[in-house]
Amino acid sequence: MISLDRASLRYGPILGLSPTSFQLPEGGGITGLLGPNGAGKSSLLQLLSGLLPPSGGDVKVFGEAPFRNPAVLSRLGLVPEGDRLPTGLRADRWLRMMGELSGLSGEGLKAAVVRSIATVGMSDRAHLTFARMSKGMRQRIRLAQALLHEPELLILDEPFNGLDPEARLTLMALLRDLAAKGTRILVSSHILGEIAQLTDRILLLFRGRLLAEGTVTEIRQLLDRHPVELRLTGEAQVLARWAVEQPELVALRMEEGAVVMSVRSPREILPRLQKAAAEGGIPLRALDPLDLNLDAVFQYLTKDHA
Amino acid sequence: MNAAPSPLTTIRAVARGYAPRIFQGRGWVLAACAVGPVLLVAGGQIIARLQGGDLSSGETLRIFHEMIRMMLPIMALVAAPAGIREDLEQRTLPLLLVRPAPAWALPLGKGLPWFFWGAAWLILSTLGLYTLGGDPSQLPGRIGALVGAWWGELALMTLVGLIFKRGTLWGALYFFLWEPLVRIFPPFLQRLTFTHHIESLTGSRAANVTAPQLLAQEQVTTHPAVAFLALAAFGLLCWALAGWKLHRTPIGLAGSEAEG
Repeated sequence: MISLDRASLRYGPILGLSPTSFQLPEGGGITGLLGPNGAGKSSLLQLLSGLLPPSGGDVKVFGEAPFRNPAVLSRLGLVPEGDRLPTGLRADRWLRMMGELSGLSGEGLKAAVVRSIATVGMSDRAHLTFARMSKGMRQRIRLAQALLHEPELLILDEPFNGLDPEARLTLMALLRDLAAKGTRILVSSHILGEIAQLTDRILLLFRGRLLAEGTVTEIRQLLDRHPVELRLTGEAQVLARWAVEQPELVALRMEEGAVVMSVRSPREILPRLQKAAAEGGIPLRALDPLDLNLDAVFQYLTKDHA
Repeated sequence: MNAAPSPLTTIRAVARGYAPRIFQGRGWVLAACAVGPVLLVAGGQIIARLQGGDLSSGETLRIFHEMIRMMLPIMALVAAPAGIREDLEQRTLPLLLVRPAPAWALPLGKGLPWFFWGAAWLILSTLGLYTLGGDPSQLPGRIGALVGAWWGELALMTLVGLIFKRGTLWGALYFFLWEPLVRIFPPFLQRLTFTHHIESLTGSRAANVTAPQLLAQEQVTTHPAVAFLALAAFGLLCWALAGWKLHRTPIGLAGSEAEG
């Protein structure tokens, strides 16, 4: 469905995306595009959605170059970042126009507008002008315009920005539902927790480079190669004596009433630690993995490449 | 998969979708610019009558001509930024460009509501002039001149707005520095001004101007039909070039910042 072969993007002298290669297969599913601000997420999405042509290499979506290509554009939907909607227009009429521009007409157009508005839960408020809508409502309409023509590929750029927690959960449920029905979804975010909740596949970008790709589990396996910090709370002297005997230990830091171990392969040391605590071998009152989540993967990988 | 919409469908959809914009503030400024000259003439007549005199028909037309010639470019400078340039600046253009519709049809689609709105007020203004004593036989020529020039100037400003970031400034320089020089241009350059074609359609002033009043340049006239066609063709050319420019220019999510 998506294929990049050493595709790069330059904004004049500034490199937005280094030569990058990856493929996404056909079929539904959610892929998360993860990276801090300026990592190149939007650049990649602009290449895929046909807004910008690559400065080098090849970008293929549905087997064709997407830039100004109606055959590709009629099969994808884009929800861009930011609150960008034309002022002074009514949402339902604007959606009707966007439907016509997507090749819909007649009864099919009417049905598509009603369906997409209902999908985003705006049936009773779609007659409002954009100026009278809240940020969350406008975000829903932005999503509705991308769903009008039932795209096979849905691209969302930072869709959770500015949404309240309830709206985030609603949007996540909607995206999962669309993915289950066969839509391939590519969603970018710099908030790792959001992506971890949503996606079964991650592309990790940093400074215009693709650092890693794979499932959350695969990304976690990368973590095993890197030291992870664990805080062991209890009698610090005894805990420290136990810790220095562990082969996975990389570094040890003493705190008041605790030690912080930096270890490799936490999957191996954690069962041993649990067993020792259960048998009374160490006076452990609490264990806090300081960075055993997706944030840690991101931090480690980006640190390596910084 | 839906078939990509045709250019005509695209133009119609965009024109209809953005038509409500003309009823907002900018649209009423445009209307005021169009009817301002005839209201000024009417005001002048009322004042003259209150003072016991009357404005002659020639005087009425002269005031109207001077005013409307100034107002037409102002109308273009007001309306053009609300066309496709607005989508570029407000970063709403990517939403249109990721559709399978032909990108080159978008500038014309966005410009048409403004053209028809402005043209309607210009026609109303011209009709108003004739209720104040204008010669009805000259009505078609005057309407053709104003509507033709409005079409060309709006298209030109749309194109300039897509080419230059400070399109309004360049447009103002063209209209208020270059155009007034028509009297001192050699004949072939006079034909490259809107003023020349407007005057050809409304009845050239060349016949009324004697050599000593000029800066030595011969005044030329163009047949009214040719002048109208020239304005219409120039407008079409500008819309086409604006469409071509939009189609060729990669415009990213950052809007105008990503140009080039």
